[in-house]
Amino acid sequence: MSEAQPLPGPLAGLRILELADETGQFCGKLLGDLGADVVKIEPPGGERNRHVGPFLDDIPHPERSLSFWYYNTSKRGITLSLETADGRRLFRRLAATSDVILETFPPGFPASLGLDYDSLSLQNPRVIMCSLTPFGQTGPWRDYLSSDLLHMAAGGEMASTGYDQADAPNAPPIAPGGGNAWHMGGHFACMAIMAALVYRTVAGQGQYIDTSIHEACALTTEAAIANYIYRGEVVRRQTGRHHAAGPTPRTQFQAKDGTYVCALVGGRLNPKYIGELADLLDSYGMAGDLRDPKYKDPAVIAANTSHIIDDLVANFIASLPAEEVYHAAQDRGFTWGVVRAPEALLDDAHLHDRGFWKEVEHPELGRSFVYPGEAAIYNGSPWRISRRAPLIGEHNIEIFGDELGLSRGELSILAENRVI
Amino acid sequence: MSRPRALENIRVVDFSWVRAGPWATRWLGALGAEIIKIEWPENERGRLPSTTTPHSLEVNLNTSGNFNDTNVNKKSLSLNVRSAKGLKIVKRLIAISDIVIENFSSRVLQKWGLGYQELCKVKPDIVYVSMSGYGHTGRHHHYTTFGPVAQAVSGLTYISGLPDKPPAGWGWSYMDDTGGMYGAMSALTGLYHRNMTGRGQHIDLSQMVASVPLNGPALLDFTVNGRGSRRAGYPPGNRAHWPGTPLVNNYRGPTVAPHNAYRTHPGEYNDWCVIVCHSDEEWQRLVQVMGGPAWASSPKFATAIGRLQHQQELDEQIEAWSMTLGKYELTQRCQAAGVRALPVQSAEDRVEHDPQLRHREMYLAMEQAALGLHKVQNAPFKLSETPASNHLPSPLIGQHTREIVESLLGFSHEELRVGFADGTFWPTNRKRFPYMEEMLQ
Repeated sequence: MSEAQPLPGPLAGLRILELADETGQFCGKLLGDLGADVVKIEPPGGERNRHVGPFLDDIPHPERSLSFWYYNTSKRGITLSLETADGRRLFRRLAATSDVILETFPPGFPASLGLDYDSLSLQNPRVIMCSLTPFGQTGPWRDYLSSDLLHMAAGGEMASTGYDQADAPNAPPIAPGGGNAWHMGGHFACMAIMAALVYRTVAGQGQYIDTSIHEACALTTEAAIANYIYRGEVVRRQTGRHHAAGPTPRTQFQAKDGTYVCALVGGRLNPKYIGELADLLDSYGMAGDLRDPKYKDPAVIAANTSHIIDDLVANFIASLPAEEVYHAAQDRGFTWGVVRAPEALLDDAHLHDRGFWKEVEHPELGRSFVYPGEAAIYNGSPWRISRRAPLIGEHNIEIFGDELGLSRGELSILAENRVI
Repeated sequence: MSRPRALENIRVVDFSWVRAGPWATRWLGALGAEIIKIEWPENERGRLPSTTTPHSLEVNLNTSGNFNDTNVNKKSLSLNVRSAKGLKIVKRLIAISDIVIENFSSRVLQKWGLGYQELCKVKPDIVYVSMSGYGHTGRHHHYTTFGPVAQAVSGLTYISGLPDKPPAGWGWSYMDDTGGMYGAMSALTGLYHRNMTGRGQHIDLSQMVASVPLNGPALLDFTVNGRGSRRAGYPPGNRAHWPGTPLVNNYRGPTVAPHNAYRTHPGEYNDWCVIVCHSDEEWQRLVQVMGGPAWASSPKFATAIGRLQHQQELDEQIEAWSMTLGKYELTQRCQAAGVRALPVQSAEDRVEHDPQLRHREMYLAMEQAALGLHKVQNAPFKLSETPASNHLPSPLIGQHTREIVESLLGFSHEELRVGFADGTFWPTNRKRFPYMEEMLQ
């Protein structure tokens, strides 16, 4: 490779077939942005996520879904009906030369079409097939219907998240938004696929992976399970901070501009911390009585916890803009943060230093848009968005024609028969 | 015969502590890698202080329940890496390892003389995953995080809660869990790339930055449409849309009603279920499950737009019904009729009452020497040829020092004893655990 060519991503050379709805498209993006050639197979007419908003300029259209755009970067797209014999034949040809098949059909559906792992691996023993489904392939709930909100309930996220009684009396448990059940499932599925790929580099053979989103969510509540197993505790919900067996001091304070600051103070108060806190508050002339030698005594600190947190820290934060508190505190070694709305991230200098925001071209619109970038910088095989999400059937000619050798005539007939 | 493991013969030098890093290596261990956790009791964070030590046990470095669950499938080498001798020993270990992973502040490994360039001198194709709060690159690399701070700064806290209330955020360190996911994925993608090309690399992961892509559609709504998240009715609690505010998508799938949490019988703290109807057809099924009450036949609830417009009344009526049933019975009735419903489950519910997790063997008991027999969380994926499993309990601190120093690195038993005497393997002024005395016999 010449110096001028950009380095390929770590998964370059891998062909992945993605048969995924909203539950699995994120996993395909994770792999595609790392360099795999992800071919998204949609039913003729396009996948149902194309109908999820928001839409470009609020004009609903299957090519204008921002949600679809985001979760399908770095993929090519073809349409194919697996419910037709011609469709299944073409799919088998694609599967014969692919490395990974990611599918999110209801359990049993691929087998009903003869497209389960056992039959696909006969023609391609190296293939890795990952089923990513709400509850896995077995068990009493395997055929239950789900949604992001349902997973956040049953997985335990909601039982941990909510409000102090004082902030929102009788509030329900709260499910954080953003589709994070799908993220949790996607992360674990990606991990399992990668482990199978690493194993294949050594053993030469593929395998089948059964991933459950419910289990992924049930695993993503930090110490809640350990609190129960080791202490029998069931945790209580608190505003903007950790669940706990008993109440803990608040950590969210409103700044002068109305934005909140997350200041982790409770549980950390000792004479050394008080000294540092006094320095921080004093730099704005707001240390109050924190310099009083009485705070050398941990017992005095403990007795004044509410004064320190609810008066001194709260007043300090209320006197300044939230971003200023954040940087002033972090510069002095405090693990504090500003509670930003997502759009505030566009102004974050640190993200700009990391080259985080990516311009992604949408040639059919003659426009390009800014997308979020990578969690990690790979110095030897960079992450990149190689293309915007595919249009419906955008790569049908490229893949069915150029790659599988179908003539334009055959493609026309397949389209007329709703196969592609 | 035992099954092969996906990461057979892969060795990981694990400097990680607290939660995010150890959560990453836990999964690499479950997949079969040999995880060698480098620890030093004088600056240990993760084993202490413990709010998850059983009340019957003394709190010490070996009795944290949460540490146990977070650190299964690992071995522990106690080693003072800050000493010249310790540094030499750890380099000898790195030279025969595949992955180095750590979640210290951004310049710690460099200060120890273990920056990426140094690591390459010891092991040219090393895969080095650093997992600091803000990453090693960028002007705020020295800033520090815990999960809640990464979540706050990245926008994840803001998107959770009721409108016109403070953010509810996340009731736990979601980004410690998820940072761990990215740590493991980074290590695996780096390893795959190494196996294919023969080249290692440094993967500079940031916990704060990793949170940002989890808000993709909200960010695109801003960069593409100019619509920010500071707006009336956002975040919409558990709903897809807050009644009385402009109709927009709020980034949790299709905008539908019902889409909420409802109280269930007998109304205790965690007696809630969630119900979602994605179509008129699903709504009609719910009406049938509720016994076809008169209120539900009103035309105002017959359409998607109508249910959104009258959501307040809709939710009140549904809750009047849901209060009459237990959350598991309600779930069963709804799901049997093709209605999306599941219970809000506490940790106790998941461990004791969830029939699906029980069927899938999510929590299996495992013996740990200091804690005894307790359930440990299993993997959410089943690999047909190389199943992931919990095969080692969490290590006692320094438990495998002799095995690693003598059997793996080839030092003599006498050298081990000298290392304990001179403070390389354990602080000289600190009481040794009985198993350490045993390994020195």
